[in-house]
Amino acid sequence: MMADDDPDDREFVREAFEKSGFKGEFRCVEDGGALVEYLEKAQALGPMSRFRIPDLILLDLNMPRVDGYEALRQIKSSERLRHIPVVVLSTSDSESDIQQTYDGGVNSFITKPAGFEELVEMAGSLKAYWLELVKLPTGPAT
Amino acid sequence: MDEMTRLSARVLELERLLREREENDSFRLVFNSAPYGMVVSDESGRIVMVNPRAEEMFGYSAGEFKRRRIEDLVPPALRSGHAGQRHHFHRAPSIRSMGAGRDLYACRRDGTEFPVEIALTPLPGENGMLVLSSIIDISRRKLGEEELVRYSKRLERSNAELESFASVASHDLQEPLRKIRMMGERLGAIAGESLDEQARDYLGRMIRAGDSMHRLIRDLLAFSRVTMRTEGFTPVDLSATARDALSALELLVEETGAIIVVDDLPEVEVDEAQMRQLFQNLIGNALKFRRAGVVPRVEVTGRVEDRAGDLVAIVEVKDNGIGFDERYSERIFLVFQRLHGKTEFEGTGIGLAICKKIVEHHDGRIHARSTPGEGAQFVVEVPVRRKPDSPAAPHSA
Repeated sequence: MMADDDPDDREFVREAFEKSGFKGEFRCVEDGGALVEYLEKAQALGPMSRFRIPDLILLDLNMPRVDGYEALRQIKSSERLRHIPVVVLSTSDSESDIQQTYDGGVNSFITKPAGFEELVEMAGSLKAYWLELVKLPTGPAT
Repeated sequence: MDEMTRLSARVLELERLLREREENDSFRLVFNSAPYGMVVSDESGRIVMVNPRAEEMFGYSAGEFKRRRIEDLVPPALRSGHAGQRHHFHRAPSIRSMGAGRDLYACRRDGTEFPVEIALTPLPGENGMLVLSSIIDISRRKLGEEELVRYSKRLERSNAELESFASVASHDLQEPLRKIRMMGERLGAIAGESLDEQARDYLGRMIRAGDSMHRLIRDLLAFSRVTMRTEGFTPVDLSATARDALSALELLVEETGAIIVVDDLPEVEVDEAQMRQLFQNLIGNALKFRRAGVVPRVEVTGRVEDRAGDLVAIVEVKDNGIGFDERYSERIFLVFQRLHGKTEFEGTGIGLAICKKIVEHHDGRIHARSTPGEGAQFVVEVPVRRKPDSPAAPHSA
């Protein structure tokens, strides 16, 4: 699942994931507010609803209304959501952004690649690591 | 007492009077031609003598002055306190300057006030102690100081604005550029087969232009960040810093088979990360502009020179590369200035500009010498110790 206000980027990343062989559902929202709202609903309604808890969140930082920093804070401070891996995917490569988001509990920080081929490679790596290699908890500890 | 004794006593007396008169005359000469206002007052504060400069300064004539008291020259708000200070001075007279760090003001005849510096000198006289006040009008100097403070604040502000502008502009410029490149690549991938050769060529050139602009913006951003990211100045052994820089260049050194010699370099108070970058750029530059068929050799040497009490560290980076025409020895330090075609050597031409910015951030200077075809030598001079008034300079992290 991806939160990014830039429609082109959403399209590129979706395409890149498809090209990398990703077969699952790729949801997009336009800002951090919509992301958190979706996650809350998915958590409340359970796995049988049409709101599924995503396996991975791709988070842009500069978004209108609720930006990436705030969305990250809300996700990582929520006991029910904090287990979902969050990868920042931003144009920024500034040290302060990197520091700040890792302090906020982000799982990885990636600067958006400049070319499409690199984007496909990135999608492949993310898929292989977060969706295939690592074991993650399926939900909050009870 | 005989005639002789009386006569010699009379001569002595005459000599004394003459000497006094001469002293008096030279006092008057100095008094009247002094470039500062001079006002002599007695113990009760009555003004007994003034020089022409004082008349000019305060707007009273010599005659008017003599009907005034010294308090009339003090701003009204401070007059009552002044009499007490005057008594205090007469009890323990000594040469002293007034104000002691405070701003002093004097009051003209028309009531306007002006900033002054005053020195007080006790003058023992026949009718008790007199005080000579020497007064300098510092309005001009004050104006100059204020102007300077205003100017440096303005400069600081505009520098900060410029830096944040460069950083924001570079970052925001990257956005649409990334799209252009990405769309170009997508277009090439999807329609590449159906495009004719010319169309593919145009597309390829468009993407390469985008790549080159991406590098330009990235380097501009790096340049604008040099002084924004400062970790403060600490005493650093530059030999160690140079070796750190070398480890970052390991691959390049290996590829080129270069011989790099780092001498003992002085310990200098610097921003270490910036100095590492400086060495990396200078040595990297030396390796990049190597001569074909010649094993690159780079020597890094250093010494400390005493320049009128200021210790200056001088570090030289010397290579045996292609060198450059000394006509361009200033130009090579400018942003995006290149002396070679893009096909000969890659790079945007930012490296030496960053070097210059780093050195200037250390209140130093950098210059280059070269003989084309024989090699180049870059000389960096930075003060060994930071001056206490040097701004620490961290704008923001």
